[in-house]
Amino acid sequence: MSIFEYNGSALVAMVGKNCFAIASDRRLGVQLQTIATDFQRIFKIHDKLYIGLSGLATDVQTLYQRLAFRHKLYQLREERDMKPETFASLVSALLYEKRFGPYFCQPVIAGLGDDSVPFICTMDCLGAKELAKDFVVSGTASESLYGACESMYKPNMEPEELFETISQALLSSVDRDCLSGWGGHVFVVTPTQVQERTLKGRMD
Amino acid sequence: MKLDTTGLESFASFHGEMDDLHGEFWAPPSFDLPVCADFDGFQKNAIQMVKPAKGTTTLAFVFKEGIIVAAESRTSMGGYVASQNVKKIVEINPYMIATVAGGAADCIFWHRNLGMKCRLYELENKRRISVAGASKLLTNMLYSYRGMGLSIGTMVAGCDEMGPSLYYVDSEGGRLKGSRFSVGSGSPYAYAVLDNGYRYDMPTGEAAELARRAIYHATFRDGASGGVAVVYHVGPDGWKKISGDDVRELHDKYYPAVQVPPEQEMMQVPPV
Repeated sequence: MSIFEYNGSALVAMVGKNCFAIASDRRLGVQLQTIATDFQRIFKIHDKLYIGLSGLATDVQTLYQRLAFRHKLYQLREERDMKPETFASLVSALLYEKRFGPYFCQPVIAGLGDDSVPFICTMDCLGAKELAKDFVVSGTASESLYGACESMYKPNMEPEELFETISQALLSSVDRDCLSGWGGHVFVVTPTQVQERTLKGRMD
Repeated sequence: MKLDTTGLESFASFHGEMDDLHGEFWAPPSFDLPVCADFDGFQKNAIQMVKPAKGTTTLAFVFKEGIIVAAESRTSMGGYVASQNVKKIVEINPYMIATVAGGAADCIFWHRNLGMKCRLYELENKRRISVAGASKLLTNMLYSYRGMGLSIGTMVAGCDEMGPSLYYVDSEGGRLKGSRFSVGSGSPYAYAVLDNGYRYDMPTGEAAELARRAIYHATFRDGASGGVAVVYHVGPDGWKKISGDDVRELHDKYYPAVQVPPEQEMMQVPPV
């Protein structure tokens, strides 16, 4: 098992009609042993921008703290929130700074830009951005997630249907992965509200 | 050790002041390199991984009414769940069962082979083989393959003239007679629950529930265990499957979801 599979994680983000959803599992483990079932992997940067971080748990927490610091500094200077595309470039630069001793994390960024156009992207641990129009996945369950999302995704879903789709995709994929699962956490963000829900899944 | 980045320094001279706040942004680009002999392999060697030993949980214990044998039903290949529905308790003959841990192919083949040898013994000697004899046959066979990479951690359970007997047999050639065993990566968690609740003179129902609970707790904590908790009972008249419960349902039964009343509820403000 590699360093990316040391703690175990599953992340997925999907685009809907003027909204997006981002979901993660809740397990924190040390190889096969489960330590906690309420680990937070998705963090709010501002009201319309969320970042999910998969991979080594200590790097997840440290990277989030560094990004929160950088964004707060930006807010103080520019007196406004960062656009999702700008934030993605910031994350990419921060990851490449550590090219020869990287953070063992794969971020998933999801945000609502101007005119409520949803933006999602993912990157590898060195900062290579991958923009997508439909969904992005990350974590130890990523192969199962790709399969589930590919078959369940439809464009232009309303928030309720998007929540159902992303939840089903997440739960069915983590059931095929030993290292992630034990529940789920879903955020559905529209221009006017944010809905945060906890999913009950298999606890094995 | 730092890379030579003089070629990238052209713009550094524009920015005179280097106070703390600006230092991070305007310093000339330079990469910190880890100090080690092999930095190409650095990421691979970042953490030494110990190969997980036999991703499974099986347990068996002897009590007044016979032997309870229990197991879960997941096979995992590294991190991937290959199946949630595998039979880890195999029947050797109508009065002896064995558990499967380690290599599935190894266990199933050698148990079938053992069943054949037990039947031949019965035909040659006109009496059933004892559990001690059956486990010895298995051990001797496995010992001759020692060092060739077989991976078997099995428990043979049965009732014979000596009463209920339980033997632990593994591919290193070890054979132990005992009254309480658990094998696999989830065994520490199962032992904790089993050792806590065990009494020799439990009724069968309580013993089966103890085994079920131990397997459930192992599936919760161990990533390589899951699926269905299967419980068998071996008595003087032979073995009988008692139950097979999906651990998800066991979770809901042991820890039902409690509705937490919200601290504050948002009120709908009527439009003015």
